[in-house]
Amino acid sequence: MTIQVQRISQIERGQAFSITVNGQPIEAYPGESIATVLAAAGYRAFRATDASASPRGIFCGMGICFDCLVTVDGLPNQRACMTEARAGCEVRVRDV
Amino acid sequence: MNTTEIAVIGAGPAGIAAAVTAANAGARVLLLDENPRPGGQYYKQPPSSFHANDVASSLSENIQHGRELIAGLNNPKITVCANTLVWNITADGILDLYAPEGATRVQAKRIILASGAYERVVPFAGWTLPGVMTVGAAQLMLKGQGLLVGQKILLCGTGPLLQLAAVQLLDAGADIAALVELHSRTEFFGGGLKLFGQWGKIGQGMAQQKKLLDAGVPMKYGCVVTRAVGETETRGAVIVKVDGNGRPIAGSEETIAADTICMNYGFVPATELARLAGCEQFFDTHFDAFATKTNDDLETTARGIFAAGEVRGIGGVEVALLEGKIAGAAAARQLGYAAQSNGHDVLKEWQKARAAFDSLSSMFAVKRGVYESIADDVLVCRCEEIRAGEIRDAARAGAQNLNALKAWNRCGMGRCQGRICGPIAAQLIASETGTSVESVGAFTARIPVKPVPLGVVGASAEPHATGTAMEDHVGYGAARVK
Repeated sequence: MTIQVQRISQIERGQAFSITVNGQPIEAYPGESIATVLAAAGYRAFRATDASASPRGIFCGMGICFDCLVTVDGLPNQRACMTEARAGCEVRVRDV
Repeated sequence: MNTTEIAVIGAGPAGIAAAVTAANAGARVLLLDENPRPGGQYYKQPPSSFHANDVASSLSENIQHGRELIAGLNNPKITVCANTLVWNITADGILDLYAPEGATRVQAKRIILASGAYERVVPFAGWTLPGVMTVGAAQLMLKGQGLLVGQKILLCGTGPLLQLAAVQLLDAGADIAALVELHSRTEFFGGGLKLFGQWGKIGQGMAQQKKLLDAGVPMKYGCVVTRAVGETETRGAVIVKVDGNGRPIAGSEETIAADTICMNYGFVPATELARLAGCEQFFDTHFDAFATKTNDDLETTARGIFAAGEVRGIGGVEVALLEGKIAGAAAARQLGYAAQSNGHDVLKEWQKARAAFDSLSSMFAVKRGVYESIADDVLVCRCEEIRAGEIRDAARAGAQNLNALKAWNRCGMGRCQGRICGPIAAQLIASETGTSVESVGAFTARIPVKPVPLGVVGASAEPHATGTAMEDHVGYGAARVK
């Protein structure tokens, strides 16, 4: 079972652009957070924890829990829910 | 150093109302918020490049109300700083800020704290699995990003927010697997009677009920989720019936298929900046959490620092808007501006709105038995991965407050700094030691109130270097100890 996390189709979103996630190009729209772009591309786990390597993804959605951390343009531990996707940015999610 | 007359922290309903009121009185206002756009969580706005009006009527109305409120910020006296984290505050009005462009320091003559609230959660087995999130997360992704977080969504927790969120998700095209409400049907609808006289709200609640029933959503009253099913992501939930104290009734388990579980057990005031500034707190029994003490002008015990909205007690959007106006006017008056004084009628309206929300909060309080029934092997501290049993062991061995617990086993020492686990751990310690949640206290607020790169703390006036402390240490050959 693959979960289809979906962009609401009734919304016009402007001009699509590309970001890379672990080297693969992925479609994004202006104003979207990295969490949105990852979720819409089918990622549910964004990282594995240090202590037990267990998968984590979106939890609070408002920047307080620090569970959705990813690396953006080499800067580690960025909250995917609070970081806007920019054209060409390179995101790394940790293997889970 | 930059200076301002009034700094408002948080651009939600309270912060916007405060900024607009103070600016209209003539004061120069700096409005600071960590999010990309004003509105807060309640009035979360989609990016300006998104165009939609027919997504879900329940949502577009909320977005439109927010837009009207936000339009008031279009005032030459107000400077809005988005994407800006306030990570330090001092009692004499200094704020340290961190934005992607770098770090800055601001001296404010008056400060209005409108930092809002967090969602209260109650852990169950598997609650760290991707696909388990707060109800607010699902709403924010929908409102602010136009994204449906799942196809088959189960909502659990307590209170009227669950059915509002269920309707919003349903309208947006999700299948609602079930609505799992802690309180029994009798308790839930009895709670609704507390709204007596507020016919608009009762009407909304009944319309939501009808919509969910018409859509065939299973309404599970008097139940809680005990486990998220799934190995690497959520596949379903095990729910169980509970007795009047919130304890599971053996043999009543039921498994419901769902790809997403959304949880909300109410709200907890976001008080870390208030505590850091030395503002005295009080324990509010209506919603079982600490909040910030103020006088009728909403000035805290730290002179010149005001508090408005959820930070001084969970009260909802109407209270937040009123308090923003009261605090904004009071702060401007202290600076010599002729802001309208808060007349008897405003105070009366405010107190009435507060009282109504207090009684509602009490009706949907989380029962002690729910916390006491969290299994020992369930994670409580998501960051440091500390389990309920470890917290109970520490409490029995002598960790009788949250700070002692943190020193004992690192609970609350991770990146969330106890925002998620603190209220839960406090309940566990109180139950285990037979004391009150109030006496267990809160974690001491520390700078930075949220993680920032080390370089920001070291030289807050300078642009920060890339990399965080931990990653840098690892780069120099340090090993992770856990």
